[in-house]
Amino acid sequence: MDCPKHLILKVAAVFLLLFTYEPLIAQEITPLTIEIHFKEHHFTPLKIAVPAGIPLNVKVLNDSHERIEFESFKLNREKVVEAGQSILVHVPALRPGNYDFFDDFHSDVPEGDIAAK
Amino acid sequence: MTRQNGNLFAFLALVLGALASPRCLALTDPWEFEVYPYSTLSAGMAEFESDNAYVDSGHTLGAEGTSSGTIPSNHLLYNSYEFTYGLTDRVEAALYLNMARPDAAGLRWAGDKFRLRGRLFDQDRLPVDVGWYLELEWHKTPQFDDAVRELEFRPILERDFGPLAVMANPKFEKVLAGAGHDQGVEFGYVAGVQYRVSRLASPGLEFYGGTGLIDQADPGPRQEHYVFPSIWGEFPGGVEYNVGVGYGLTSGSDRLIFKVNLELERFVGRIWKHSSENGWFL
Repeated sequence: MDCPKHLILKVAAVFLLLFTYEPLIAQEITPLTIEIHFKEHHFTPLKIAVPAGIPLNVKVLNDSHERIEFESFKLNREKVVEAGQSILVHVPALRPGNYDFFDDFHSDVPEGDIAAK
Repeated sequence: MTRQNGNLFAFLALVLGALASPRCLALTDPWEFEVYPYSTLSAGMAEFESDNAYVDSGHTLGAEGTSSGTIPSNHLLYNSYEFTYGLTDRVEAALYLNMARPDAAGLRWAGDKFRLRGRLFDQDRLPVDVGWYLELEWHKTPQFDDAVRELEFRPILERDFGPLAVMANPKFEKVLAGAGHDQGVEFGYVAGVQYRVSRLASPGLEFYGGTGLIDQADPGPRQEHYVFPSIWGEFPGGVEYNVGVGYGLTSGSDRLIFKVNLELERFVGRIWKHSSENGWFL
């Protein structure tokens, strides 16, 4: 096998571009804060509509007596929330679509949904 | 380009420069074909993980391909057990037991590792999410490595583009004891892209390799470079998996490697209280 030096350099260059890429129009938009409460084994609200293209601060308040792990597969976020405590999750501006969230410690807790429109 | 991105560009240009150097050594950790993301375990979480890699087509001489010792890589099974604990919401510690099974022989102890890994700030506070990784490794010599003890540092970089996560872990390793302790720092890399499709199964593409000493790289064909198409996800019950097939890209690499990584996370109790929302290190 020959050393595919050019291939390796091309792959490295792609990574370099991805890490240094910036949108042509950098926008400073104030994040929208939304609150999600966890109580009696449920998230409230379970369905949340947010505008697409605006960053979010998701405040998760655990009003229950059990520890949860707030997780979103689509948003690539997971964080433990102790009983009676809250966390803040920063989310970049979302493309239109649906983004799940759930309690990874309790599979019987209904899954929630953030709909960006 | 912002100043932060400019610094990052200069750093990655150095990495590219090392790749383009005329001579280097190999630097791949076959006990752990895993790309580290920015995120760490939450405080009080524990993770048990087993990483396994089987060299289906490797080299028949020692110190070739993924082998760094006298035992050749061909048909070698690398098997590691890792226990990780979230010290804080930003720093985790891990212990590894590395085993190996040479062809037609039983599992043997091959070495151990201890590492600390952390993330700086919270996600999306910087243009690129940045973390760090510090590892102390010792080996069973001369069977599985000619270096007794090594220290490794990696910056961890991650950037998400919607469902696409791009991760890079450039590696800098220094032999502390054993063969090569009088040499400089070796350079290697772990990198990957993951596309989030479903919790059950999503695709990824991972890259592993090494070019050797930063100031004295191996000739290109002697370097190790691998590409692993992979599938990752979570089984019902919470066991996470990552399986992949690795193809060696140079004659110095093993030709074909299969990997299976399994992990399970559980909350076991925190030592320290929550990390501050406005903190950056602990």
